[in-house]
Amino acid sequence: MFPRLHFAVCFTAVLGPTLVHTLCPDTADGYKVRLSIKTALGDDAYKWDESEMFLFRATLAFAMRKYNQKPYEVSDVLVCNETQRVSFWFVVTDPENTSELISGKDVERAVRISRNRINNAFLLTDETLEFLNIPPTLAVPAESGTPPWLIVFGVVIGVVGVGIIALLISSFIQKRRKKGVTEGEEEDCEEEACDKGNGVSHPVEEGADGVNRGFVGDIPFTKL
Amino acid sequence: MEKESRPSWEQPAQFVLACVSYAVGLGNVWRFPYLCQMHGGGGFLIPYLIMLVLEGVPLFYMELAVGQKMRLGSIGAWSAISPYLGGVGIASVVASIYLCLYYNVINAWSFWYLFHSFQEVLPWAECPLNSNHTGYLDECRKATATQYFFYRETLNITSAISDGGGVHVGQALCLLLAWMVVYLCIIRGIASTGKVVYFTATFPYLVLFVYLIRGLTLHGALNGLKYMFTPKLEQLANPTTWINAATQIFYSLGLGFGSLIAFASYNHHNNNFERQAIAVSLINSSTSIFACIVTFSIYGFKATLNYESCLERVKLLLLNTFSLAEDTINVDNITYWITELNKTHPNQFADLLPKLESCDLEAELDTAVEGTGLAFIVYTEAIKNMPLPQLWSVLYFFMLLLLGLGSMLGNVTAVTTPLRDLRFVTHYLSNETTNGLVCLFCLVLGLGFTTRSGNYWLTMFNDYGATFALLLIVLIEIISVCYIYGLEQFAKDIEDMIGHRPNWYWKIVWAIVSPLIIIMLFIFYIINYIMGGTPTYQAWDKDLGQSVTTPYPPYAQAFIILLLVSSIICIPLSALYTYCNRQRPESTISV
Repeated sequence: MFPRLHFAVCFTAVLGPTLVHTLCPDTADGYKVRLSIKTALGDDAYKWDESEMFLFRATLAFAMRKYNQKPYEVSDVLVCNETQRVSFWFVVTDPENTSELISGKDVERAVRISRNRINNAFLLTDETLEFLNIPPTLAVPAESGTPPWLIVFGVVIGVVGVGIIALLISSFIQKRRKKGVTEGEEEDCEEEACDKGNGVSHPVEEGADGVNRGFVGDIPFTKL
Repeated sequence: MEKESRPSWEQPAQFVLACVSYAVGLGNVWRFPYLCQMHGGGGFLIPYLIMLVLEGVPLFYMELAVGQKMRLGSIGAWSAISPYLGGVGIASVVASIYLCLYYNVINAWSFWYLFHSFQEVLPWAECPLNSNHTGYLDECRKATATQYFFYRETLNITSAISDGGGVHVGQALCLLLAWMVVYLCIIRGIASTGKVVYFTATFPYLVLFVYLIRGLTLHGALNGLKYMFTPKLEQLANPTTWINAATQIFYSLGLGFGSLIAFASYNHHNNNFERQAIAVSLINSSTSIFACIVTFSIYGFKATLNYESCLERVKLLLLNTFSLAEDTINVDNITYWITELNKTHPNQFADLLPKLESCDLEAELDTAVEGTGLAFIVYTEAIKNMPLPQLWSVLYFFMLLLLGLGSMLGNVTAVTTPLRDLRFVTHYLSNETTNGLVCLFCLVLGLGFTTRSGNYWLTMFNDYGATFALLLIVLIEIISVCYIYGLEQFAKDIEDMIGHRPNWYWKIVWAIVSPLIIIMLFIFYIINYIMGGTPTYQAWDKDLGQSVTTPYPPYAQAFIILLLVSSIICIPLSALYTYCNRQRPESTISV
């Protein structure tokens, strides 16, 4: 039994690299990935090395597991054509049958579902960790019940409306008051028979005996 | 019963501020910087200042003098100059009504943008997502987010003027609010207007100053300022430069609408309007130049931003195509790399060539925009990139509102003052009721501009409603004052009011120079209209995500002619009416 196992391990070890060469890049079922670490993180950028690649393959295996619950391993994610840009192709093999590739559509769906987790594993975003030909799922902006502009509008139009009504009411009251005063003045005049014909009219002074005192001073001088 | 004396300004300062508030409007912010850019930057100031001295100040002075002397609105004032000239006043009122109808819609837009600034993420900062959330809406991607917000969310514009569309409820609400605010400010005539103008005349300067500081400290602002101040003096040889300078002075001061006559009619008889006329004209022009500096800093910022984004995109394209490490290319060595890669990978580079943008800072600065495009698209684009964009947005749109409101106060006063001069109006209706009815009338008609094709009609009114009529009105004004009323009589009236006669300079300019300039503008306008062929407008194509030049349909062209003629026709009609009245023998004359 032991020699057979050993033989099996050797066999897959030999077969592994050949599998990579034939299966990757498979433009139908594979995807190109491009990372822009320095653009995203600037001075805090980490170096892309073997361990980071391992993390990528592990994350992708995680995404595949989340998608269809098959026991994917890191070895099921095959990577090739790495460049200095930090871009590479990958394909995913079926854990039950390592010579079969998972179809591109399934890979795409798996990535879309777990995109956020994959991005966060690398401290990157949809723009800096690109899966070419897999469209990102953009976050829907939070929608509030009443549009906020209506609230501000309501407040402002309320204030303006109150201002208009206040001014109209105060004008109305002022007019009422003025009409009352002028009516009062006219009534005073009628009672005491003042004559406005010559222009200036004095309010007539009435003494206790009912004599018009306005001309009192003149009486001695008026000759008849 | 006591006869009501004419109301008057509580302080002379209120009159000056009302004139400043009226003259300093949206045009100072969105038209003058454009003209500056089109006609050679700093060099444009030369024809501008010359025209100010030869045309702007004298005509402003004349209108104030007429108003203060006659103490009546435009219709009464011109009827007093000569009974045959009542039509000039009526034409002014018609032009003012046209302006009132559409100008407040722009204030409604300012309100809309102001209210939408109270959000965490400004709605014009990002495109909305498409239905399956994989990307942004098509229309928004092809245009920019700010253009999309203006044309689609604010206006919901149709693709042609003939395509009516319904009323945009948000716009209608904002227009209602705008008219309510105007009513609140004019409710008791100049008693209320006089108090409001303290604020509407001064606050915009505060905002402009704050924006100046903000603008000058933005990255790339100096590029814009350098561009503006390097004069391209060869533009002075172009006659269009001088025509545009004269036209800008003319419209910027708001001559011919009757607003200045209306404001001046509430002055005391001995108010020294000569000093005030010079002061207001100078303030108006200085504000234009000040706003120009602010606008060019913003331009510089926006152009630099676009230029640097363009370089980033080119760098990314090169990195991605040739799979180079990220830090090999940066903005400094990008040109080196372009030549290098062309040499080393000629075939690949040739394939790449159509996608490779050429980034040019000068080209970015050369894109001149005016009007609503500048105010609502270019400025908002710049604001969204500033830190704390909500604050800057609120400040900016509040300033636009005050500028527009100040001008509206003058326009509405130009309509209500002649109305209040009519005996039967004063007898039956109170001040508040007259003003309310005018506002209601303009609101109801103005709702037409809040429909989906409303912006096209608004542009038509803006371009044709008052422009031609004003030239003719002011020409007839100056000629009738100088030659029909008599320059000597006019000078005597002025001496009576302010104590000294206008000196020889004013007389020469009134009698000869200004009329000549206006006749020149007039002829130029007519030639332009005839030679221009079919009038066209900019229709927004939502599939292309940009504006396309479209000719007006025949009924719209007929409407344009109606607009042009309707205000002017009042002048000969009214003269004819007066003439006929005088010819008829008076049957009431008795022994």
